Amino acid sequence: MIRRRAAGLLSRRRCAPTVAVMLLTLTACGAHEPGASGRSQQLTVGRALAAEQVLTRGIDAGGLRSLDPSISTDVSAAHVLDDLFEGLTRLDERGEPAPGVASSWETSADGRTWTFHLRDARWSNGEPVRAGDFVFAWRRTVNPATASEYGQALAAVVNCVAINEGKLPVSELGISALDERTVRVQLIAPTPYLLSLLTKSYAYPQYEPVVRAHGEDWVRPEHIVSNGAFTLREHVIGGRVRLLKNPRYWDAASVRLQEVVYLPLDRAVQTARFFAGELMFTDPFSAEQTAWLRSRLGNQVVSAPYLGNVVLGLNVLRPPFKGNRNLRMALTLGVDRETLVHFVRQGLYEPAWTPTPPLPGYDAPVPDWARLSEDARHTLARRLYAAAGYTRERPLRIRLHYPTDTDNRRTYEAVAAMWRANLGAEVETYNDEFRVQLNERQLKKLELFHYAWIGDYPDPYTFLQLFQTGFGQNDGGYSNPRYDALLNAAGEESDATRRLQLLSQAEALLNEDVACIPLYYYATRHLIKSYVRGWTSNIQDRNLSQYMYLLEHQGH
Amino acid sequence: MGRYLLGRLLTAIPTLLIIATLAFVLLHAAPGGPFDSDRQLVPQIQHSIEARYHLDEPVWRQFVRYLANLARGDLGPSFQYRNTSVNELIAQGLPVDAAIGLTAILFALLVGGAAGLFAATRPGSRADRAAMSLAMLGISVPVFVTAPLLMLVFAIRLHWLPAGDWVAGSWRHLLLPSLALALPYCAYIARIVRAAAIEALHQPYIRTANAKGLPAYLILCRHASRATLMPLVSFLGPALAGLLTGSIVVEQVFGLPGIGRLFVVGALNRDYTVVTGITVLYGALIIVFNLLVDLCYAWLDPRIRSRV
Repeated sequence: MIRRRAAGLLSRRRCAPTVAVMLLTLTACGAHEPGASGRSQQLTVGRALAAEQVLTRGIDAGGLRSLDPSISTDVSAAHVLDDLFEGLTRLDERGEPAPGVASSWETSADGRTWTFHLRDARWSNGEPVRAGDFVFAWRRTVNPATASEYGQALAAVVNCVAINEGKLPVSELGISALDERTVRVQLIAPTPYLLSLLTKSYAYPQYEPVVRAHGEDWVRPEHIVSNGAFTLREHVIGGRVRLLKNPRYWDAASVRLQEVVYLPLDRAVQTARFFAGELMFTDPFSAEQTAWLRSRLGNQVVSAPYLGNVVLGLNVLRPPFKGNRNLRMALTLGVDRETLVHFVRQGLYEPAWTPTPPLPGYDAPVPDWARLSEDARHTLARRLYAAAGYTRERPLRIRLHYPTDTDNRRTYEAVAAMWRANLGAEVETYNDEFRVQLNERQLKKLELFHYAWIGDYPDPYTFLQLFQTGFGQNDGGYSNPRYDALLNAAGEESDATRRLQLLSQAEALLNEDVACIPLYYYATRHLIKSYVRGWTSNIQDRNLSQYMYLLEHQGH
Repeated sequence: MGRYLLGRLLTAIPTLLIIATLAFVLLHAAPGGPFDSDRQLVPQIQHSIEARYHLDEPVWRQFVRYLANLARGDLGPSFQYRNTSVNELIAQGLPVDAAIGLTAILFALLVGGAAGLFAATRPGSRADRAAMSLAMLGISVPVFVTAPLLMLVFAIRLHWLPAGDWVAGSWRHLLLPSLALALPYCAYIARIVRAAAIEALHQPYIRTANAKGLPAYLILCRHASRATLMPLVSFLGPALAGLLTGSIVVEQVFGLPGIGRLFVVGALNRDYTVVTGITVLYGALIIVFNLLVDLCYAWLDPRIRSRV
């Protein structure tokens, strides 16, 4: 207990909301005075390009732990790297994979060999980007000596896992340079999301001479050689990151921004800076503020579906959930998702009936109970709850663990209240510092816990693998041989439609077994000045600065 | 004098050792490690990351290694910022906090000192009560209220000053954070100066000065103000150490890349070396400033000098 308190005192998550509440209460006070209400609405936007093309973007304060594409794992750094480097493919304005350094490619009949043809792209020092630069970079990412947390992100590539585990030399990796402008990639299985993977930081090329000369220091502004739309000018750790347009980028003619400044800041601070007119594009604002922000900023508040879900993890290896599907189902039915989403999460998120968020081309298996009325669900839930051996007099008593965060607290207080009202279950919500909880969760010590996941690529597999037997993040301990077999079959399937069908069957099994309690799907949340154009909301929430531009404007 | 200094510096060593040990032990005792992530790593990678930072060694050996490095002035590599040393992080953050802290203290001395002396000449008057009520307010309203308030008025409503960020050498970026930081110090100083000055004004030497017809402002500035220096100096020593190692709230609100924020983010991410390093730095600064305070005493008061 003392330990928990001590950790809490140091918690940024605890400190940040305090500051957040202060800032917002104060800004809110200002909002009701007639003189002040118009400030942000006084913004008038013209049609011509602004003379000064300098974009300021907010990113999450906790990130930017490394700018090395082989090593970096956090979202903040991914935004910066998206601007600095370009892989074989890049994301287009709509967030879809499109030709990048590779201008074209072919696939073998079995979908396991891909050949990419490189365009005349240049590094920021003027040297051509060669096929060997990809081979070098990929080997470096996978090499266990690099000690990258993303060492197996390229697991689809032949021998990636074995090399990363130190069983094979890096030269055995399934990537080769056929000549200076041709890259061949060999995959262990057809990977329909490969083009999307190739836009990620771990698949960028790296300029070997500078990495060899400076080691991990190569990403410092004084050394770095990059091949994206921007170059790194300044990087203050914990502070600003300043990028300048790269005149040597192959598509530089269509890049209008001259400079991009990234500022790592807490959410509430980002919002305040947006009001002050100093940030033009912010990272997630607090979901709690949605309604208030919309009333103040109108369509500058931008939200769209995001490739992520929030579920309640159930530990099926321990009582009370072990071998007790009735109880798991009763709790699943006892959550009123529409109420949760509309009243607690202010209509920002979509209710979830199944773990995988909506994806184009994928027919997610929505369970039958989702179509029942709320009352019918409650009746069924009570029956299953009773069948599981619980009554109003002898209710289920359990702790629901979630990481400290005001947004989470509201959600889980509501969920606990729903279970109390609908079933009579006594659920105690219990929050802890993220790292403390993560540790206990991975040791499978928690029975009922918050579990949020952001997909690595737009494909159901990134969500479904979490329930595979023995998978590292399978913190609930779910295991079903039929499920594993379906996932493996999908992995081997070269027909894309058939593969998605297999995944859908697997997911239906997951719902049938009630491996977790889906709550809702995430949404992207940005504040974007109305004079910033050229971005499109996309499911991966990656907005490359190279497509953005600023229109003439007056006011803040 | 030299022996005195040497003695004081030598006693600082065990103090710092205790601080370093406590910080090290407490941090390692906290649940969760620096490389825990919701993506579980393959054992080989986990092992090679741990080996890189010597986390695979027994804790006592890590501690000995840490102390050996510390003795050479090396605070070790940061665990959260790859390939960055704690020394480097401090070298980058310290100037930010120093600039803001020194500006704040200067402002607090000027405004707080003037207000204190002013109030001391009119004890019990309305002006005195008004000044002291303001000072009380300054002490009781926390920075996490004043900082956003200043931001709201000067940056969001009036757009006169930037709402944050740090640009070296720009006074506009310095102003709001310094002001927010200065207000409570201003209030403390006003109260300290007032109390000391009132006491001084009742001393016989002031009566003598009055009797020989010295103008009131000269009495105040030349004689009474000197007496206020002693309590002021003892307050300023530790205050400066605190200011130099950063104000977490001010840095957070204004988004400044100072040490305070590094410390908080470091604690959350179990960045052992950053947290221990900043703690030791803070301890060292406290020791140094306390020593300076004592030296100032000796300089200000001949009676203490003779004892030293």
